[in-house]
Amino acid sequence: MAGMSPTMAFVDGRPRLRIRFRDIAARWGAVVALLALWWALSHSGMFTPFMLPTPERVATRMWDDALAGDLPLNVALTLYRALAGFVIAAVLGVLIGAAMSRGGIIGWFFDPIVSVGFPMPKIAFLPVIVLWLGFYDVSKISMVVFDAIFPVITGTMLGIKSVEKELIWSARSLGTGESEIWPRIVLPAAMPQMFTGLQVSLPIAMIVAVVAEMLMGGYGMGGAMVQASRMADSPGVFAGIVEIAVVGWFLVKGMASLRRRLLAWHPEADTPSGV
Amino acid sequence: MTQIVIDKVRHMYRPARGRPVLALEDVSLEVGEQEFVALLGPSGCGKSTLLYLMGGFLPIESGTISVNGKAITGPGPDRGIVFQHFALFPWKTVLQNVLYGLERQNMPRDEREARARKFIDLVGLHGFEDNYPSQLSGGMKQRAAIARTLAVDPGILLMDEPFGALDAQTRALMQSELLGIWRASPKTVIFVTHDVQEAVYLAQRVVVMSARPGRVKAIIDTNFDKTAPDLLRSQKFGDMVDHIWGLVKEEAIKAQMGRAT
Repeated sequence: MAGMSPTMAFVDGRPRLRIRFRDIAARWGAVVALLALWWALSHSGMFTPFMLPTPERVATRMWDDALAGDLPLNVALTLYRALAGFVIAAVLGVLIGAAMSRGGIIGWFFDPIVSVGFPMPKIAFLPVIVLWLGFYDVSKISMVVFDAIFPVITGTMLGIKSVEKELIWSARSLGTGESEIWPRIVLPAAMPQMFTGLQVSLPIAMIVAVVAEMLMGGYGMGGAMVQASRMADSPGVFAGIVEIAVVGWFLVKGMASLRRRLLAWHPEADTPSGV
Repeated sequence: MTQIVIDKVRHMYRPARGRPVLALEDVSLEVGEQEFVALLGPSGCGKSTLLYLMGGFLPIESGTISVNGKAITGPGPDRGIVFQHFALFPWKTVLQNVLYGLERQNMPRDEREARARKFIDLVGLHGFEDNYPSQLSGGMKQRAAIARTLAVDPGILLMDEPFGALDAQTRALMQSELLGIWRASPKTVIFVTHDVQEAVYLAQRVVVMSARPGRVKAIIDTNFDKTAPDLLRSQKFGDMVDHIWGLVKEEAIKAQMGRAT
């Protein structure tokens, strides 16, 4: 097979290039179309510049913010809160999910907590968390953990529960000791579903960080938007929306490319997925 | 020489929900060293359960199974297993899968690499060492699984309907290759199947099991010369298949009736 590959690459080299170009065009087409629509509507006269500022105006504003240092500071703070919360949620979620997958008392204990907690709007607890933990990062990060942990728990639990017994039996009969079964077989086999849980959890962490900032004020992308809104600073609000979209895009794509790298063996790793 | 002794084994299948079912009742069987035995019976007769008990994957509650005079207490590399759905480690390449069992033993790196490649070549997967299981066809996956099991050199090979998930042509090919491998380096093989022709073609003895609860209904000697070019169309082969099919059919009907009530 190794001898065949150069010929293969030569034969379908051109079609592959063409497909590549079409893919890229399709992926960016939606972004370009949205920007064009925004541009057209904001220049049509249907909206006042206050209701819908032009993209040029918003871009200029973002550039000014970047030069003034506000934009990098706000992005860095929001990312810090979202990612710190995400990492804590990932570690705790994997531990709890793994413990729950074994059933028994721990499973029974956490099952109702997950069933009730997952669908609940956790942000409603924000006033309580503020009372307990104050206004600063601890409470914001706790809020992120509280929301982002559930997909990790369920992904880990389902992933581990769905490991086929034949896989474990094969490993046992090939000489794997009881204590090696988890690290060598169960965790790698459960990895695709665990990773899906993480991929759902990361955008949630971002959303909750921004919403918590909006509700609590201060620095950060969410706080800056609320501040701009209070000042009737319409370009500032729209700049915030664009910044959040761009940061979110990088996070989601980063996770997807990490998945392709870590789970190259998994058939789904090839599909270009957002989540 | 007798290698495996199954003595009055009884097994209750206990589903997570619902009533326990008696899967095996008073099963006794002896298998000689390097003998190829097929376990044949209708689905649900407990033939796979018996194989899993021999593998040490399920606890033996009543009766004993001993290998080389020692009662088995759990799985071990002396009994290799091949499953119907391959059970390859999907995150490992073909080579890494075959290496896995060798890494569990204290074999030097060069030696185990050479040994893994030897068995990959033996099953005809040369050139696919670096492919992941998801990139292989069903037949190729089963070849990889067989190489992985043979590489650790188990004295006993337990095969659970290994060709049941393959298409007819691939199955026929794999049967004759398995027989070739077994003739070249004989091992004790316990081969579970519900395909009468497959059982007669491969095995030296065919054990027909009854409908649930599984018992040994009959043991038929199928150890005749199978090297004739027209074996599958020969009178002797046909008669043997007809005779065994008659025995299995009775049990299959019983199993159907049992399920209907």
